[in-house]
Amino acid sequence: MPARGTPTVVRAGVPVAVALLLAVLVALPLLRLVQVLWQESDGDLAGILGSPGLSTAVRHTVVLAVAVTVTAVPIGITLALVLRRPDLPGRAFWRVAVLLPVVVPDFVLGYSWTQAYARAGFTDTLLGLHWDGLLGPVGVWLVLVVNAAPLAYLVVAVGLAARSEPDLERAARASGAGSFTVLFTITLRLLLPAVAAASVLVFVLTLGTFAIPQVLGAPAGFGTVTTRIYADLSIGGDPASFLEAVTLALLLVLVAVVCVAPGDALLGPHLRSARPADAQGTQTVPGRQAVRRGQAVGLGGYLLLTMVVPLAALALSSVTRALGVPPTPGNWTLDHFRQVLTVRTVEALGRSVGLAVAAASLLVLLGGLVAVGERRRAGRATATLITLTLVLPGSTLAVALLITYGRWLSGTLTLILLAYLAKLWAFAHRPIAGALDRLPPDELRAARASGAGLLTAVRTVALRPLAPALLGAWLICFVTALHEVTMSSLLYGPGSETLAVVVLNSQELGRIGPTAALSVVLTLLVAAPAFVLWMVVGRLRVAHDGPHAEVARVG
Amino acid sequence: MSAEPVLEIADLVVEYDGTTALRGVSLAVGAGEVLALLGPSGSGKSTLLHAVAGFLEPRSGTIRLSGTTVTGDGRPVPPERRELAVVFQNYALWPHLSALDTVAYPLRRRGARRAQARTEALAIMQRLRVDHLAARRPAELSGGEQQRVGLARALARRPSVYLFDEPTAHLDTHVRAAFLEELVARQRDSGAAAVYATHDAEEALGLADRVALLREGRLLQVGTPQEVYDEPVDLFAARLTGPASVIDGGRLLVRPGWARLGGPLEAELRAVWFRGPHSDYLVDSPRGEVLIRESGPPRHTVGARVHWTLAHRWPLPGSPSDSSSP
Repeated sequence: MPARGTPTVVRAGVPVAVALLLAVLVALPLLRLVQVLWQESDGDLAGILGSPGLSTAVRHTVVLAVAVTVTAVPIGITLALVLRRPDLPGRAFWRVAVLLPVVVPDFVLGYSWTQAYARAGFTDTLLGLHWDGLLGPVGVWLVLVVNAAPLAYLVVAVGLAARSEPDLERAARASGAGSFTVLFTITLRLLLPAVAAASVLVFVLTLGTFAIPQVLGAPAGFGTVTTRIYADLSIGGDPASFLEAVTLALLLVLVAVVCVAPGDALLGPHLRSARPADAQGTQTVPGRQAVRRGQAVGLGGYLLLTMVVPLAALALSSVTRALGVPPTPGNWTLDHFRQVLTVRTVEALGRSVGLAVAAASLLVLLGGLVAVGERRRAGRATATLITLTLVLPGSTLAVALLITYGRWLSGTLTLILLAYLAKLWAFAHRPIAGALDRLPPDELRAARASGAGLLTAVRTVALRPLAPALLGAWLICFVTALHEVTMSSLLYGPGSETLAVVVLNSQELGRIGPTAALSVVLTLLVAAPAFVLWMVVGRLRVAHDGPHAEVARVG
Repeated sequence: MSAEPVLEIADLVVEYDGTTALRGVSLAVGAGEVLALLGPSGSGKSTLLHAVAGFLEPRSGTIRLSGTTVTGDGRPVPPERRELAVVFQNYALWPHLSALDTVAYPLRRRGARRAQARTEALAIMQRLRVDHLAARRPAELSGGEQQRVGLARALARRPSVYLFDEPTAHLDTHVRAAFLEELVARQRDSGAAAVYATHDAEEALGLADRVALLREGRLLQVGTPQEVYDEPVDLFAARLTGPASVIDGGRLLVRPGWARLGGPLEAELRAVWFRGPHSDYLVDSPRGEVLIRESGPPRHTVGARVHWTLAHRWPLPGSPSDSSSP
């Protein structure tokens, strides 16, 4: 009965609308980028490409992305393997704690490391120990690894939950393989698609990363493509640097596509075949308690050095009177907070929250639209296109949007919102599409066979199991938009600074105490809603998965 | 049972998150013997196999394999150093390995070189008539083929004890019989002991030398198939091992073959089922409802007055009616 099914207009309209929006947000701006480069260069492309600064920036970016990927992914795998053991002491705590870097804005993470380990930092004041290499390529690499490891962990952990049935590993043990042999011959082999996906993700994100190289690399003269684009557009201003920014933006997306395309083509088919995830820990075979305790201690040490000490140092410098004085209670003051909590800051804060709420809500809508459309053949192509936008570096997108729509929208929040929609669409789409994939088709069919129309069936049967994914997608977009600085730092104008931009500017002015205070405010702003939503999502997920998880036990 | 037991389990207790899955189970299995673990789902069959395999640590009790204590005496021996092989309900074939490499896997773990392991694996697969599947991955195999490869992998291990965890649960009926025949033949050849978990009474009775009945983590009865069928210790055991009618207020057990149509007793025919080679008649008599099995197609229609005889019966040792039974 067509009257009760999806109206034909909607069926045909959704993919068309999505394609149009994609054209406006991504395709057109990218084409404009090419066009501008072609026009402005007067045919002297070789001259621009041959400039030494440009090739150095590209080389730094690629080497950095490779180095971060090969370090962060093994850490992510290790975390996933250790945290999957249900007999790990304090497992529930560690599983949340290792995700801390996700909710701390990367800019704040980089800055907090300088407060902890750089000259005149926390360890220097306390123990006379500091690390000069922190400001420079090695420091950038290390902090990027800390920042990316939880992401790799998340991807691998999902793969581990979906692909490894405990019986596969038990079968290997019962065939005479020790635990290490099982790890290399079975577990890691089954994880290969997830590991590859994590590598692609980390690589692409590192290519486009801006805040950490800007905070730790720029002061030492270590430039990447993204920091150079920022310098060209915010400090430069002459036609030559504008042209260089356009060239770099195009080169960045080119590098990303060239590096990622073969990997994605090889992996694409494998990644979709993941089975429903059972996020409960699986204990294949009992292990030694001493080993577990050692692993817990190792986790604690890792988190202490990479997150706890830097964040504590940041918090202390936000309340310590001046640089170099010991961070003891006698020297504590709230002056920095008073100094930064001006009308301008509060306005920026309001803008950030409003922008993030608007972006997240629109994105969940858009993501859901694509995910539902994807179930029909016509929608599949748009879904693939959306996924491709993951590869788009924020800097490229920002420059492209600026030269395409800047004439009308330059310096407005609308332009920043457009950039967020283009950049984060895939982030909203993936979790929703994944949840839809996992929804057993028979549940919907049973509802239809019981007399429910399609919309009623979705509302009554599908919405509850989809709720965690929808909330999760909203949360990811909200948090990312809230601490995003790569694009907003290029697109903001007078009266449209976001809080992250205010923090970045404050850091560039060298105001240590106030910057620390602003960083604390920004972090709390991100962490508080993230924590609340985390709890809600967790509760929903338990409510939905609970009985299944119980049945999955040995019977 | 012959000579020294290969597998000895004593007072085994297993707990998961506060619930007790096994409550003091003791068993012994001799070389060449097949012991069936028969019980409904949740009775602890898989748990018992997992404890023997070393996949979980019991709270207390001991497990001895070929005279060596593997559980209960200091640190438990890990699964790879126990001389046993497991055939899983869900096959547990590794998706990234071909059938040949799957069967070669235990041989490789014994230190065989790749070429040698593959030659040996192929020989095992030939015996099971699955050598033509050697190059295939699990995704390209049917359920029956997967389980034969799983059995080949277990044979390659050359264990002293086989653990079969409901290996036919996911197999179609016609594949099941062929697989079982193969399994028993190979296990007898090897001279190893076997523990076979199942919830299917026919399978257990037809396959095993002895049957152990499990209920809620406790052993209810252990005996030959004939013993547990003819002389069950209570109503639960009676119903677990096959079709059972109880008459005279729950005191007397009557199996379908123990009663005949025709004779001195009167009853009304309540229902009749044509089963192919035989027909089942449910008759309602003053002593209770009785299921009677006769060869050939149905000879009476529902509602007819029929006569019947009681040829054999077993007085149930347990209390009269047991309401918690299935």
